[in-house]
Amino acid sequence: MQRAVQGTRRLGGLSVILCLGCLVAAAQEDGAARKIVVDGSTTVGPIAKAFAGYYMAQNPDVNITVSESGSGNGAKSLINSTCDVADLSRFMKVKEFEAAVANGVCPVAHVVAMDGLAIVVNPRNPVQELSLAQVRDIYKGQIKNWSELGGPNVAIVKISRDTNSGTYETFESLVMDNEKIAPDTEYVGSNGAARQRVKSTPGAIGYVGLGFTKGVKRLLIDGVEATKENVASGRYPVARPLFMFTNGYPKLGTHLHAFVTLHLTSDGQEMIERKGYVPVTSYPAKARLVNDDES
Amino acid sequence: MRLGTRKVVDRSFTGLGIFSIALVSLALVILLTPIVVRGIGAVVFRATIEHDRVLMEHFERGNASTFAARNATAIAARAPVYEMLTAYEAQYGVDDFELEELREALQRLLGPAPDQSKPTLARDQFGATRWAQAQEAAHNVLYVQEWDYSDPTQFGVPVDVPRAKRFAGTPLESLFPYVSEHLDEMLQPHWTLYWGFLLDDSLDAHMFGGIWAEILGTLYLTIGAVLFAVPMGIISAIYLVEYAPDHWLIGVLRSCISTLAGVPSIVFGLFGLAFFINTAQVSKYFMAADSTGVSSKSILAGSLTLAILILPVIIRAAEEAIRAVPRTYKEAALSVGAGKWRTILTVMLPAALPGILTGIVISMGRAAGETAPIIFTAAVSVGRPLEVWQTLTQPTPALPWSVYNLCTEHTAADEIRHVQYGMVLTLVVLVLLLNTAAIILRARVSRRLAG
Repeated sequence: MQRAVQGTRRLGGLSVILCLGCLVAAAQEDGAARKIVVDGSTTVGPIAKAFAGYYMAQNPDVNITVSESGSGNGAKSLINSTCDVADLSRFMKVKEFEAAVANGVCPVAHVVAMDGLAIVVNPRNPVQELSLAQVRDIYKGQIKNWSELGGPNVAIVKISRDTNSGTYETFESLVMDNEKIAPDTEYVGSNGAARQRVKSTPGAIGYVGLGFTKGVKRLLIDGVEATKENVASGRYPVARPLFMFTNGYPKLGTHLHAFVTLHLTSDGQEMIERKGYVPVTSYPAKARLVNDDES
Repeated sequence: MRLGTRKVVDRSFTGLGIFSIALVSLALVILLTPIVVRGIGAVVFRATIEHDRVLMEHFERGNASTFAARNATAIAARAPVYEMLTAYEAQYGVDDFELEELREALQRLLGPAPDQSKPTLARDQFGATRWAQAQEAAHNVLYVQEWDYSDPTQFGVPVDVPRAKRFAGTPLESLFPYVSEHLDEMLQPHWTLYWGFLLDDSLDAHMFGGIWAEILGTLYLTIGAVLFAVPMGIISAIYLVEYAPDHWLIGVLRSCISTLAGVPSIVFGLFGLAFFINTAQVSKYFMAADSTGVSSKSILAGSLTLAILILPVIIRAAEEAIRAVPRTYKEAALSVGAGKWRTILTVMLPAALPGILTGIVISMGRAAGETAPIIFTAAVSVGRPLEVWQTLTQPTPALPWSVYNLCTEHTAADEIRHVQYGMVLTLVVLVLLLNTAAIILRARVSRRLAG
């Protein structure tokens, strides 16, 4: 009897090991080519998520995961080889390049879209337009009340992104001219959070990517509206490209290659436009009227 | 103390007790009511024909004949709207900003126009799927929100301007009364029980579909954490109770374990990132040697991090439970000639099992709900539900992280509040089930041991 019990136990142990072995083998087969890990900017996030959803629907055996931890963290992930694609809403810094090369990683930039930095206020705020210098003075703390700008007598609540953000760095160089942002500024961790804060605070001002302006009011900057045309032509003063970085140029024919070149297809362009960004390509927009069998 | 004073003190103490219990119950009700009510709203709600369309096209579910009948009525009801649009375009041309805006508002309500090619994004392929959303979308078709800034010293006031005004005297003028009168026919509202909310994949970052990937991810992470933490925890507890000498070093070790229980969970998260992902690269162990895959976040790394988080709780619970076993059990076992190891394995541990199990299940509840440790080690905002073997190398969406992510980072956070509430309710119910399981298990094991 006891021997039988021992036998079963041994069998049990053996099968557990076998199962583990199968798991490991399956994982090995699965691990590499069919997973794409995307990390980084919260501004590029909506594009990456749309691309991931689109690509996974077409390739049921591929798993693309997207997380939005900020441009700085995205760059770190690529440097440490913990992601395949790093979303950045700014270009990679020299220091990051050096760290990457020291780790044997060679960052290659793919510009996926153009984006304007919308300066936004609560829709109840009557102010419609500011000059770049005025925005700078607000964030420097020299203009403290909306009444100084022709608005109601309410203190200005300044909302900024955290320093890990690419959007923050764009703002710092294009708007602030690298002058210091006043210490009473409130820092938030994502585009969505900045929008929510401005949306719920009548006296707030903030800056977000073009995809995040629902429910808040975009201000005209130096008389120019942050439209797609103005961003693409460079007339809108606070515009920047959005990047996806990979380690080396991805091997042709791989899922990774298809993913980071998706923005060059007309479907990719449509997704970028619908998310509120400006595509780098200029195919004619998808025809609303279907011309039956013209082609 | 005089008897009278003692009575007064006694009564006021009782009163205070009742008061605090009432306060706690009130807080619970205030907290749980919206979670339960709005969470259930994610599953039981008034759906429109567009909801049925999502299910038919993407999940191949639903009663085809009912759908066809409803769809036919809806299409017939919508036809005049598109006829009016065509008539307007024939007269005024298509290059018109206000027409664009109206078409966009109509697309939000009814989905793409019949003469439109299929949009790429799922959120553009369908109209409003929930009746509450549909009413809001209809309002946006009928009115344009403008702001009255006539007094620049005050904040503006929202004004709803009827869109009909803009199109007065054109073929579109009658579109607006038509939409408000025939909304029901165009969208076919009906009560539905969308059980697929729990078992469907999400579509277009939670615009439609369910939260299966999140639920599965949370289950994997919890089970993984327990798999790692329980053996280690019990063995440590046995060592601490039965083998550890009475030495000051052991005292230090004990207080270290207690301290570990008080460390903020984000610290574990950062430790997991630095150690399991960057240094040990656990996600790479299970890839082929020539693999180009990166050492990304994975359920494995997340489970290991959560395991460290719950380890002190399990050690403490197991230690207490083993210590509580009567000395006589052990002495009896030893006196009939059992060795120390055998005594522990066959007498002490079974007797301590109820206590240990309670500790395990409580820590499972903690592991399921923790957010900070998985941010850097396992959780992502978009991803598929994983197969078991993929847990070794791939990250996953998980309930606690997705709740946070949806309300802070999602571009359409306000439109998908019901998904957030649904996720919160699911998580609360999951933890509640675990705790109930603990109570039942404990009662059963105790009864068996007693009998």
